[in-house]
Amino acid sequence: MTAEEIFSCLEEKFGAKRETLDKWSVTAVLSATYLRNAVEFLRDGDAAKFEMLVDIAGIDYLTYPNHEGPRFAVAYALKSISNPGLRIRLKVLVGEDNLKVPTISDLYANANWYEREVYDQFGIVFDGHPDLRRLLNHVEFVGHPLRKDYPAQKRQWLSTNDYLLPELEKRLQDLGYRVIQRSKEVETNDNEFLEGSIKE
Amino acid sequence: MIVLDKNGDKLNLMPLNVGPSHPATHGCLRFLAAMDGETIVASVEEIGYLHRGFEKMVERGTWQQVVPYTDRLNYCSAIMNNIAYCRAVENMFGVEITERCKVLRVIVNELSRINDHFVCVAAAFQDLGGTTPFMYAFNPREEIMCIWEKLTGARLTNSYARIGGLYRDSYDGFENDVLAALGSVEKALKDLHACLDRNRIFLDRTVGIGKISAERAISYGWTGPCLRASGVASDLRKDEPYYDYETYDWEVVVGTQGDCNDRLQVRLAEIEESVKIVRQALKRLTPGPVDIVDPRIRVPAHKLAYQDMEGLIGRFKSVYEGIRVPEGEYYCGSECANGELGFTIVSDGSGHPYRIKVRPPCLTQFAAFHELVEGGQLADSMAVLSGLNIIAGELDR
Repeated sequence: MTAEEIFSCLEEKFGAKRETLDKWSVTAVLSATYLRNAVEFLRDGDAAKFEMLVDIAGIDYLTYPNHEGPRFAVAYALKSISNPGLRIRLKVLVGEDNLKVPTISDLYANANWYEREVYDQFGIVFDGHPDLRRLLNHVEFVGHPLRKDYPAQKRQWLSTNDYLLPELEKRLQDLGYRVIQRSKEVETNDNEFLEGSIKE
Repeated sequence: MIVLDKNGDKLNLMPLNVGPSHPATHGCLRFLAAMDGETIVASVEEIGYLHRGFEKMVERGTWQQVVPYTDRLNYCSAIMNNIAYCRAVENMFGVEITERCKVLRVIVNELSRINDHFVCVAAAFQDLGGTTPFMYAFNPREEIMCIWEKLTGARLTNSYARIGGLYRDSYDGFENDVLAALGSVEKALKDLHACLDRNRIFLDRTVGIGKISAERAISYGWTGPCLRASGVASDLRKDEPYYDYETYDWEVVVGTQGDCNDRLQVRLAEIEESVKIVRQALKRLTPGPVDIVDPRIRVPAHKLAYQDMEGLIGRFKSVYEGIRVPEGEYYCGSECANGELGFTIVSDGSGHPYRIKVRPPCLTQFAAFHELVEGGQLADSMAVLSGLNIIAGELDR
């Protein structure tokens, strides 16, 4: 099946619209409600198997000329391993009033980190994500730097490290262990923060 | 911390922090492992220590000014990143680059790949305590670096590719230098195989360590040599050929086990294939123009700026306003040394990129790190890490 045929399936099943901005390949604009169904259909359906999630990119249209509609978009790039060369992109538009997109981190293993990155850079919340923390920016960072209204020159005072101990406990629980006595370093201590740093 | 395992047995685990500044984490990765003696029970990773806001920075410059930033993604094979970015923008313009440019790009691409793979294998062995292979691998790498010096004027951050062409044509004697370097590469490969293939210590440290199945690797979005080591013959140079890669005679190398040893052996075998490609490409290198002639895409030559009104205007506008990439959104991935380096590009038709999202191959590979090391020993995690070839420059952007 070609990407065009797969797009018509998406159009029929999930009411996808063709993204006119993408003149080079096939991008389907979906509503957030159907995202998970569409991704499941693309991954496991008979049409074509898109086994790999290549990328998730956040986009902020705040200063995009003549842009109408929701401010943010999350763009998913999928590719097929069994049909080499077959690719499709999905896009979900996200309004400022409801910054929520359902997670697909249970469908693709790498979506976990990609969604954390989009959350970190744009502040878009992925509903149902198991561990939505910042990925690239510092744990004390305030704001979402890739938004168009975040000033590139802005500086922040960041002092402490990411503790990771609560995450390690979570990981142990996922692996079937039960923590009965916590490490004493797990609670952060005021002395760990330098003067002037932004504490949560 | 004290935990109960699945059978209800009490275990006293020690949280151990590794990195970010540790020789084997190559600068700036960190993971926290829960240790039961020497065994890693669970592990969580943290990245971002080299995050410098690539995607925010590029929005402030022109399209051409992105090229030097791409050098800093995978700095072991900087030219490949330049070419991957330029290819994405050229595809948006819908222009075809010249024949000589294509062949030159294939040659420098494959030489970069050789360089990158050598660094990976050498560093992996170094991390396991062997210094000899490091020297064997760095000799031919040095020769390629000398070619870079002559060709681009820089050793590490070359910025050689331009949108619509190359920084400049090759120099006199380029072909002979490349052939000589290929000779050293082949000699180094022999030496490396002699060091690695039947080395009991190396095999004990790498065979069966950090195994991942093909399904899991695909689900994690692995690409490049790491995915191929798990037995998936996926290579963009064959699957979505560009620059006539499909017309060269070479094979996609695949492994069988998906363990640390396979990931390193696949890289060594890929060097052999790259040597084959470069040798064929050198035969195709015929004289001709390197840049396309279109002042809207590639800045006119210096000579024209001094002699010709149009050339002067072209240069002026290209530098001050930047080229205008057609409005739209596009994703384009290229096969780089570590896997698929992709650029999601949003253009609003102005002289500046509206948004460029990099898809670094390392990120997906490092995201699976905890699955690879859990259950193994702490020392194995170092073998796994260097086998994945995590380059923090592109991991953190």
